[in-house]
Amino acid sequence: MQSLSIAATGMMAQQLNVEVISNNIANMSTTGFKRQRAEFQDLLYQNLRRVGTNSSDSGTIVPSGVQIGLGVKTGSVYRIMTQGDMNNTGGKLDMAVQGRGYFRIQMPSGTDAYTRAGNFQRSPTGQIVTSDGYTVAPGITIPPEATDITISQDGQVQATIPGQTAPQIVGQLELSNFQNEGGLDPQGDNLFIETAASGAPTTGAPASTGFGTLQQGFLETSNVNAVTEISDLITAQRAYEMNAKVITASDEMMSVTSNLK
Amino acid sequence: MENALLIGLSRQSAMMRQMSTIANNLANMNTTAYKSQSMLFDEYLMPVASENSPDKTLSFVQDYGQVRNLADGEMQTTGNPLDIAIAGEGMLKVQTPTGDQYTRNGHLQLDDTGQLVTSNGYPVMTTAGTTLSFTNDEGQITIASDGTVTTDKGQRGKIALVTFPNLQAMKAGGDNLYTTTQTETPVAAPRMIQGSIEGSNVKSIVEMTNMIDVQRNYESASKLVDAADNMRRQAISQIGGTQ
Repeated sequence: MQSLSIAATGMMAQQLNVEVISNNIANMSTTGFKRQRAEFQDLLYQNLRRVGTNSSDSGTIVPSGVQIGLGVKTGSVYRIMTQGDMNNTGGKLDMAVQGRGYFRIQMPSGTDAYTRAGNFQRSPTGQIVTSDGYTVAPGITIPPEATDITISQDGQVQATIPGQTAPQIVGQLELSNFQNEGGLDPQGDNLFIETAASGAPTTGAPASTGFGTLQQGFLETSNVNAVTEISDLITAQRAYEMNAKVITASDEMMSVTSNLK
Repeated sequence: MENALLIGLSRQSAMMRQMSTIANNLANMNTTAYKSQSMLFDEYLMPVASENSPDKTLSFVQDYGQVRNLADGEMQTTGNPLDIAIAGEGMLKVQTPTGDQYTRNGHLQLDDTGQLVTSNGYPVMTTAGTTLSFTNDEGQITIASDGTVTTDKGQRGKIALVTFPNLQAMKAGGDNLYTTTQTETPVAAPRMIQGSIEGSNVKSIVEMTNMIDVQRNYESASKLVDAADNMRRQAISQIGGTQ
């Protein structure tokens, strides 16, 4: 009986939907997290009576045929790349990107990863690194004697050195942009890597055309909205239950048939 | 005598297919821009043997077609600038390897070359019959309610919304795509809502009650088959017993 397997596709889809929603809720306080959304598409159709075929030799056609859909499938689970809120932390090396752009992180393996989470720290050698200790490109070293660090909106890093009147420019931060941000491959730890779908990165200074600006002392929070997630969760749960009911009903119908004899 | 069995069977096969349709509607409760379907049933009259026959015409049931509920689904706000919900009539035209297809699924994205594509990667057509591509430095993409796409570089084109004389005759091909041989006409007053997605128009309560209905009807049809079977059995035993 088809309705059994159709309802099963529905239950699997809703299960995935709940998984996506639960991941969003779990990451509600993750810095720079972008919420995801499952998008569903209808599956194949079985043509029992094909629409538009001739119903007589005088040229009349079937105005609406019988097409039995075979269920649902997940089209994509995509990220919604809207800006998260700005959370004022006051940290000297906390940066939020206002607008488009990712920080480029040099991974220990020599490859590049990209992140929106700007909660950076200083390594023992004075380099600006992520909370995992990976270097933030292009690799800026803060002099150990620096008493204060200022990061301008366009990414210039200045250190205040005791005994010097003017702050010393120690480096320039850069941002990377992608044609298709949704195509980035998430690696966990707030990191993404480039894929064929995302396109190659273009690199530029913050505040230049097409790039966002940096806000020192702020962190970008996740863009998860609790109300949306919970209402989506309710919908998903009820949809799951209804699909389960279809299975029960189909089962009862089959049992009626098998009890005929 | 066999006719009672066959009539019951025609009812049950039709019910099975209706159940599949309901199951498909419920499975697609969360599918973007899904349109719920329902079956249309017809009476098939079996001609009598001859004109003067005392037989009455028998009526079987057959499912002759399906009707699609074309009402708008509810708008779901996603906040994604490349999600558009189509309000009212109209479909997006997408270029697929097998020719032009149509969809109401407005979850769009940019591919690796910056082209505006659907979630299956098919380019979306503009009113000028071209596709839209964006470069990395264009900033925010704004889609006006009539489909006009604007970026920092100014107006880039207008997303086409088309309609057809008979929307019921559109053939669903899965992946939210429809095909047809009809000639498209542009929608006179296109209306799109950026940052939203059209949900499915499946009304769960309607589907659930239909499902109960189908299930119980199926059971009563099976009672008919059962009764016909009993009659035949009795006939066999009683007529057989007189020998």
